[in-house]
Parts: sequence; C-alpha cells; structure tokens
Amino acid sequence: MSDTNTGRLGRLVPAAAVGLLFAVMAVTVLSADFGDFSEGLEAFEGESVVHNIGYALFNLGEHGVATIPSEGFLAAFLIVAVALDVALDGAVYLAKREEDGSIVSAVGQAFTDGGRDGGER
Amino acid sequence: MVPIEWYLLLATAMFCIGLFGVLTRRDALYFLMSVELMMNAANINFVAFALYYGDLTGQVFALFVIALAAAEVAIGIGIILVLYRNFGVTDVTVPTEMRW
Amino acid sequence: MVDVFSYVPAIVLLPFFSFLIALGAGKYLPKGGAFGGIAATAGSFLLSLWVFATVAGGQTYNATIYTWASEGGIGPTDIELTFGILIDPLSALMLVIVTLVALLVHVFSLGYMNDEGETGLPRYYAGLGLFTASMLGFVVADNLLMAFMFFELVGLCSYLLIGFHFREPGPPSAAKKAFLVTRFGDYFFLVGVVAVLATFGTAQFAGEGSFPALADAALNGSGSVAWIPGGLELQTWLTIIGLLVLGGVVGKSAQFPLHTWLPDAMEGPTPVSALIHAATMVAAGVYLVARMFGFYALTPTTLAVIAFVGGFTALFAATMGVVKDELKQVLAYSTISQYGYMMLALGAGSYVAATFHLMTHAFFKALLFLGAGAVIIAMHHNENMWDMGGLKDRMPVTYWTFLAGSLALAGIFPFAGFWSKDEILYEAFIHGLNDPLLLGGWVMGLLAVPVTAFYTFRMVFLTFHGEPRTELARDPEPVRWNVKGPLTVLGSLAVVAGLVNMVPVQKLLGIEGIDLLTRWLDNDFGGIDGVSYSAYNDLLATHGHEAAFLGVGETATLLVAAGLSLGLAVAGVLVAWKLYNVASPTEHTAKLGGLKDVLYNNYYLDELQVWLAYRTEDAAGGADTFDQGIIDGVVNGVSSVSLFGGSRVRQVQTGLVSQYALLLTLGLVALILTLGVSGGWFL
Repeated sequence: MSDTNTGRLGRLVPAAAVGLLFAVMAVTVLSADFGDFSEGLEAFEGESVVHNIGYALFNLGEHGVATIPSEGFLAAFLIVAVALDVALDGAVYLAKREEDGSIVSAVGQAFTDGGRDGGER
Repeated sequence: MVPIEWYLLLATAMFCIGLFGVLTRRDALYFLMSVELMMNAANINFVAFALYYGDLTGQVFALFVIALAAAEVAIGIGIILVLYRNFGVTDVTVPTEMRW
Repeated sequence: MVDVFSYVPAIVLLPFFSFLIALGAGKYLPKGGAFGGIAATAGSFLLSLWVFATVAGGQTYNATIYTWASEGGIGPTDIELTFGILIDPLSALMLVIVTLVALLVHVFSLGYMNDEGETGLPRYYAGLGLFTASMLGFVVADNLLMAFMFFELVGLCSYLLIGFHFREPGPPSAAKKAFLVTRFGDYFFLVGVVAVLATFGTAQFAGEGSFPALADAALNGSGSVAWIPGGLELQTWLTIIGLLVLGGVVGKSAQFPLHTWLPDAMEGPTPVSALIHAATMVAAGVYLVARMFGFYALTPTTLAVIAFVGGFTALFAATMGVVKDELKQVLAYSTISQYGYMMLALGAGSYVAATFHLMTHAFFKALLFLGAGAVIIAMHHNENMWDMGGLKDRMPVTYWTFLAGSLALAGIFPFAGFWSKDEILYEAFIHGLNDPLLLGGWVMGLLAVPVTAFYTFRMVFLTFHGEPRTELARDPEPVRWNVKGPLTVLGSLAVVAGLVNMVPVQKLLGIEGIDLLTRWLDNDFGGIDGVSYSAYNDLLATHGHEAAFLGVGETATLLVAAGLSLGLAVAGVLVAWKLYNVASPTEHTAKLGGLKDVLYNNYYLDELQVWLAYRTEDAAGGADTFDQGIIDGVVNGVSSVSLFGGSRVRQVQTGLVSQYALLLTLGLVALILTLGVSGGWFL
C-alpha cells in the first residue's frame, strides 16, 4: 500500500528531517575517536559463544571448561520467557470483544458456537 | 577487521530508514514494522560494540531487545485491533482525539 | 484629694460605653438604651462640673495619655503621634456646655422618640452615645491630629443620625450630602494637619513645645521650623496652613460656601438637630479655631478671611431664613448665620466674644430646636408654619421658653444673645476701624441683625400667635415632662447665661470683675501659660491688629455700637410684629416676587454644587479612562498575550502520532547539534 501521505506534510518534510538526522549522526560517528580495539577482538578468537552458553546451562562454568562468561544469557532467556508470556496474555486480552453483553473472543465463532443452544452452523 | 564506523553507519542508515517509515506511513501495521526496523538498527549497534570490546553484555542486551520487541509487537497488534474496533480503520492519522 | 484629671478619660468613655450597650443590648433594654445614655451623659456632666470647679481652683492638665506612633524617623523630624488630654479654661467650659446639652437632648429624646413610638431606637441611642463620646474626645484633644480624628468621627455620627429614617428617600440623601460636603472641607484640614506635623514636628495645642509657640518663636527669629516647602516665606506658609485648617472649619461649621448641607440635615430627628447641628458639632469648627488661636493670631491675613467669610455668611444665611416656611429650616439658616457671627468675632481677634457667643448660642439654639421639636410632636410632624398658629395658649411652657430663646437669638436686652452678639459687633467695629476688610464684615454682620430679628419673630408669630389655621393647631397633641423639662432648663439659661460677661455694663458703670467669662479665658482663675486672652491680644498686637476708637473715646464708641445693634434688632422685631402678629397673617414675603424665589431656592447654590459635582465626574472620566484603558489595558494585554500565545502554541498538539515523531526527530537533531557544538566534539 502506498499510502505514505500523512495528510498535512507530504513526504518532503519527514524525508528532510530524516536526512538531516542521518547526516548529523554520520558526522558524529565518523569524527569520533574510538581508540584501539585490538584487545577486545582477541577475546573471541576461536571461541564459540554457543558452546559456552551450553556449559553455563549445565553449570559447568566452575570446572574450567567455559572460557567466556555467559551467565548473562541465561538471565536473559528466563526474563525473555516471562516477558513473552505476559505479552501473549496481554494480546489475547486486548483482542477480546464485548458483544451483546457477553465477552466474545476473536476466534469464538471459528471453533465454538459461544455456548448458544441449537441453531444452524 | 572492518572498522567499527561501518557498522555504526549501517545501524544509523537502518534507523533513519525506519524513522522515515514511522513518520510517513499511514497504516498502523506498517508503522509497527518501521518501529521494528529501528530496533534492529539498535541491535546492530549493540552487537558491533560487543565484538569490539570483547564483552558479551552487548549480545545479551541485543537478545533482550529482540525478545522484548516481539512482546511489544504482540501488545501493539492488540492495540491496533482495539483501534480498528473504535475507528473502523487502521489509519494512524484518523484517531486524533487527544489534542487541544 | 482625688485627682479629678485622671477621671477625664471617663468623661469621654462613659458615653462610648452607652453606645456599646445600646448597640449590643439595646433591644433588650426597656427604653431602647435611653436610660443608659441618660446615665452616661449625666455622669459625664457631673464629671465635667467637677473638672470645671477644679480648673476654677487654678489647676490645668496637659498630658499625653497614649503614644501610638513613636519616634522612628517619620518625616523630617522624629514625630510622635499621641492621644492626650488638654484641660484648660476653654476646654473645661466647652465640656460643661456639651455634656449639659447632650444630657438635655437625651431626656428630650424620651419624649420625642420613645413616646412617639419610633422604631430602631437602639440605633438612635447608640448614635447619640457615639456622637457624645466623639465630641467630648474632640473637646479634650491636646493635639491637632487627635482633634482631626474625632472631627471625622463626629462627622460620621452626624451621617448616621441624619440618615436615621433611612427607609425614606430624603434622610439618606441628606446624610450623604452632609458627609460629603464636610468631607470636602476635611480634606483640606487633613492636608493642614500633615503640614503642621511636617513643619513643626508636633501638633500639640498648648504648652512649651506646642506648635503655636514654635510658630511664634520662628517668626520672632528666636527659633526655627523643621521644614518649609521650597521657596516660601515662613509667614506665607503659616497663612497657608491656617487657611488649610480653615477648610475643615468652614465645612463643619457650615460657613459659605460649604453651608449647603445644614438645612438638608434637618431631615434627621429634631433632638439630633438640636444636639449636633445647633450646639455641638457645628461648634467644633469654631472651637478648633479658638483652640488654635495662638497660631491664627500670627497670620492676620487668615483672620481677615475668617472675619469676612463669617460676616458674609451671617448676612447671606439670614436673608435665606426670611422666606422659609418650615420651622426647622428657619432655625437651620439661623444656625449658619450665627456661626458666621462667631467667625466674625474670631477674625476680629476677639476670642472671648466668639466663645461667649458659642456658649449662649448653644443654649438658645438648642432651646429653639427642642421647642420646635415640641411643636412638631404637637403638630404630628407637620413642620409647615402656615399650618400652625395660636399655639401659645395651648402650649404655654413651650411658648414661653421658645420666646425666651427667640429674644436671645434676636439679641434683645437683657437676654443672653444680646450680650454676646453685641460684644462681637463691638469688637469687630473697633478693630475694623483699622482694617477695611474687617469693617466690611462688621457692616454685613450689622445688617444681618435686623434680618435675624425679623425672621425669628416671623417664626414666633406664625407658629404661636394669631388664630389656629388648621384643626390640629386648634387641638395639638400634649407633650410630657420629658419635653418640658429640658425646655425649662434651657429657657432659664437663655435668660441668664448672658450675665456672665456683661462687658458693656462693666465699661459703662466702671464696675470691675463682672466680666467673668473674659477673666475665665484670660487665665485669671488659672490656666496654661500662653493660652489666654491677654497672650492672644499680645500676639495680635505684634502682628498689626490694633483696636481703634471713634474720636469720642471708648465709652461713647461702646454706646454708639451697642445702641446701633440693639436699635436695629428692635426695629426688626417691630417689623415682624406689624406684619405677622395679626390674627390671620398673609404671606408677605410673596411681595418680594422673583427675589423670594431666589432666596427660597438658596440662591441656587445647591444646584451649583450638584453641577460642580457632575463636572468633577466628567473630569474624573478622564482619570477613569486612563485607569480602565491603560492600566487595566496593560494587565488585560498581558493576559491576552498569554492566551493568544497559548492558543497558537497548543496547535502543535495535533493528536497525530506521526507529527509527534517528526518533532521528536527534529528535537533530537537539535540536541545533538547543540551538545556537539558546545561540547566541541561535533566538528
């Protein structure tokens, strides 16, 4: 769909604003001095992050097998799981409809008849 | 190695493209897609710096962002649904009730 | 021995308490607070007599009771603002007069107000109590600022009491007029008070540090004043101060041109007219000049103005009294005229004659008003003299006392008014031989004598003589002891009060010592240094105010002047006798034709003052436009800028999310640029 008009501004002003932002950030980035990165790059030579996550999952980090500390990933996995769960519930709730005094879900009519007695399908 | 400026420029470009979409698109779903694009630009930034500083925190954070972006989209689509119910269209320029 | 002077505040406070009682509990009291008022004024009267006796024994009192604003560097010198008491012969005499008249009026009110079944009595007695307290406070005031405060208070009470019947259209309007006209004069008085405080640093009337003494010292060169406005000579400035204070006096004592309020003030109840507008409040102005006479004696220009205004007012008001039909109106114009005489006396430098006439006038004018009140009760509040007649047989006590008062007013020997008025005219004459302005005042005062006698006796004959002209006059309402009692007391005073200062007898027969009032005011019985008749005469002489006699010597001058004034008075009485002492008098004044209309309408001065008020309103319109247009306009403009700005700025909030995002973007760009340029890391 090509409805890119916002009605009042057209596309010129947003394009100009975005272009300006890109220019400013590009100039900032290019003129910034990041220093020497050699140390950081060596930390990952020949190591596999995924293997280390596996070691951390089974609590093998203490035994000297793991080379990269990856407990942060485990925390991330758990929190992400909770957050996605909450999001799913929220989405389902927002999607519910109220019709004729009773709550009807979006998929109500597709799988059930909403508790109506009899009637044609 | 690739100088980090390239990664940052790439992220900037993606961010600005996503921003253009946010500013210009009328349909709510395209709006959400553009927002996703902007978040991915930030992710590139995180991972690039994780590589260059040798610190996995950047990657962890990027993982967070991805998951939370997904959660946010779920909620966002729910809101768009309610919006559609109340206004009849998913056009973001139609609901302008919260104004002067 | 109990120190009577520590009880002097009680003289002022007793009526004040009766005011509070009448106000708070009046509706529960049997007579609406009357007995409280009578008791309070009787107490004040007895205390005043005691004070009088003490002063006659030689003591005086001049002290500060309370300092309410002390040295803190106000103005050019450190000025203290105080309340204080000054008891000297003049104030002791005035205390007795005021309390006596107030007491008699309170008793009379029982008959006038209570017996007539008036409503709102607590308010009435509260007003009377507050007035008495304020007037007594004014009399004992020891400095000009305190006097001013009480001056204003009596004006307020006058307003409250004139407007007593506030539900009718006349009285509230009259009350407003009285208040506003006197207020106009009081404005100049206030400026004068401030001028005195700024110039001398003190407003004390008597004593070593008093402002008359300081002014005298400054003029002598033996002292100096704290401040004179730029470029003026001391004498000129003192004259200006005197004239400013005179503004308040002219307003309060109803002199031309601020006399218009007094006839309208007759809308108030008659006892109020007797107390306030005959004997006490209008006396406040004359008393003030007498109190400050040491200051006025230094400025002969002011004295000349006072005398001329007084003489003019005397004649001017007398002419207007001739054509009036209502009893109280005649008496009102008579009051204005008689106060003109007192001002003439003050201007002539005869402080004693003015005080003497103040005293006798208080008695006989209060008597006349109370007598008029008795007639009004009898005639069921119909004041028109043409509806009366023949009341002398039906109201004998009222008639004889009223006649005594009228003889006193007309100045017939040997009643009180003769002695005082005669002394005024004599003093004006002998001082006027040196000063043409004063002589002009004397001529006008002299011309007013027959007119006074004429309208007085016209009033007497129309009211009491002849045949009754209406049913009610044939059968009037009887009045009780509470009306007749005060009338009798005042009637006897009107007869004998003149005997306290029989100066002509003293001079003609050579008997010394019978001019009691002159001796009293000359500190013969004791008094404060510098506040005495002789001291004032010395000041006057120093400033060029000499007396002269006709070539034939003092005694002959006296006989000529006395004979002239008595003769004219008797002539006036005889004309009135001829015209009005008939069974059915006709309205002879109608023969004056157009002149009568002018006189009846008070020379159209009321209309002139209303016209002036409207012009002031127009002039004030300019100030109003400035205030509303510019000042309010600025304030409204500020708010409208805010509103306009707000209504434009809020249109940013379109509710459109994309535009918000756009603004965010632009803001981010601006932020990065600003931080970058100022932080130095951008380029």
